[in-house]
Amino acid sequence: MIVDVNAHLGPFAFRRLRHQSAESLLGLMDSRGIDVAFVSSAAAITHRNTQPANEDLADEARPHPDRLVPFAVINPSYAGWEDDLSACVDLGFRGLRLYPNWHAYELTSGPCLDLVDRATERRMILSLPIRVEDPRQQSWLVDVPDVPLDRVAALVAARPGARFHLVNGRGYVGSPLGRKDGGLPDNYRIDLARLDVLLRDEVETLLDSLGPDRLLFGTGIPFQYPDPTLAKIDVLDPPPEVRERILSRNAMEWLDGP
Amino acid sequence: MNSDATPDPISRRDFLRGAAASAALGAAAPPRPARAITPLPGEIPVIDCHAHLHHHSRDGWQADDLALIEVADRLGIDRLCCSMLTPRRPASAEGFRECNRWVAEAMARHDGRVLGYCYVNPGHPQEAIDEIRRCVEDHGFIGVKLYNEHRCTDPVVFPVVEAAIDLRVPILHHAGHGHHPYPGQPNISDGGDLAELSRRYPEAMLICAHVCGGGDWEWTIKALRHAPGVRLDLSGSVTDDGVVEYAADLLGVDRLLFGCDMSMTAGVGRIRGADLDDEAKAKILGGNMLELLGRRPS
Ligand SMILES: [Zn+2]
Repeated sequence: MIVDVNAHLGPFAFRRLRHQSAESLLGLMDSRGIDVAFVSSAAAITHRNTQPANEDLADEARPHPDRLVPFAVINPSYAGWEDDLSACVDLGFRGLRLYPNWHAYELTSGPCLDLVDRATERRMILSLPIRVEDPRQQSWLVDVPDVPLDRVAALVAARPGARFHLVNGRGYVGSPLGRKDGGLPDNYRIDLARLDVLLRDEVETLLDSLGPDRLLFGTGIPFQYPDPTLAKIDVLDPPPEVRERILSRNAMEWLDGP
Repeated sequence: MNSDATPDPISRRDFLRGAAASAALGAAAPPRPARAITPLPGEIPVIDCHAHLHHHSRDGWQADDLALIEVADRLGIDRLCCSMLTPRRPASAEGFRECNRWVAEAMARHDGRVLGYCYVNPGHPQEAIDEIRRCVEDHGFIGVKLYNEHRCTDPVVFPVVEAAIDLRVPILHHAGHGHHPYPGQPNISDGGDLAELSRRYPEAMLICAHVCGGGDWEWTIKALRHAPGVRLDLSGSVTDDGVVEYAADLLGVDRLLFGCDMSMTAGVGRIRGADLDDEAKAKILGGNMLELLGRRPS
């Protein structure tokens, strides 16, 4: 079984996505053997009020409960986010995606910590994309830097009881997030979408330092081809136990939750 | 190319492969696939049109170069077209000569695996021309690598282009088009500049480097549409869905070249993922580059 923790539905503001509908995304997943995807709204990244986009996503995902696991996009600096969170829980959302640089708030600000706390009480996973697009190709309208890993480290340290998925990031090896002795709780897991195998050995180093229960299969579909992540698994060729953990078990553990 | 430095890649690779690792993880690693890409019809080799060897001032350059070959083995890449850049740029003539000397050594060391691009800074015109002739004629280099010292439409670049035309070798030109300034690269060329250069020199074999690490790839592909003399190198770390198909639609598969620019699974993954038939993929993975390399009379 393969679970992709880094997927999206709906249109993106700056580029056409070929597989933005549930039907099309499921076709792509089928062709690559991906069974389940954690999906959030790509439109919500640039919407001021994200809640209608969350509702659209819920409608798209609803007919496919065994394949698409909905994650909400909520901006804790926007009016009414507490109501939106409750509504999303009622709609069956299992996690949140946070876009601090697109939505102009700090990860360790009071409102963000409040959101993390409330989501944690409701057993939601917090998915934190380090980037949406490569900054070199961003539209003239926006100039959104990657989320700095030291801010991510500060958040995971501040909320040891929360459970974080760090997706679309790299460079962890040079950060406390990638070190055994980094002094951080083990409340975060890291997806493979942008990690290097072999040449810079980022995946190998993280497996060594953090252990096999800390890595996740994530592709960034439909922004990105799923195949580069699949190729990483191929060339890494981990032992079956590690393979199963990365491909599905690590993602499903937190979803099923204790 | 990315220059993230991580220590000692060999030992970490062994972690997943060696006996200690198997014991620690409680399972033996199954054998690796010999080739991760399906072999091409008609024995066309898979050629990475854009790779780099490591400058010898870098600690562990030997291990890093060997790792590159090992990655190529595991991904089924038969040949790597490599250049070496000076760590500091603009490159001095002595600096690029030294790099090319080391590339020539690597070509001899990895016979047939490593094909060399001669890197020069056109700002040293006579030295650049002499170096290109020496590298191609005496040492069998397959092309010229230009970086960002000068925009490719700057007349100082023209004698280099003329030398490459004369020698019938391609020029791989660093390129990028962002909608925000490229930090530290005031003279970077983009697809539009390469198209303009190609209109001036239609017989030049120009390769626009790393469309998947060069900013707005849709802009680059559109800018190159009416410049048939420019090939597109698909390398780079950005794995955006649809880039290969869009390039194939607008430029035709004959103008597309497989490359990694050291982002190996990205380079291979985007070709595997592209919705194109095997024949088209074979051209992209090696056929088109083989055709370019074959233009030089042997
Ligand atoms: Zn370049």
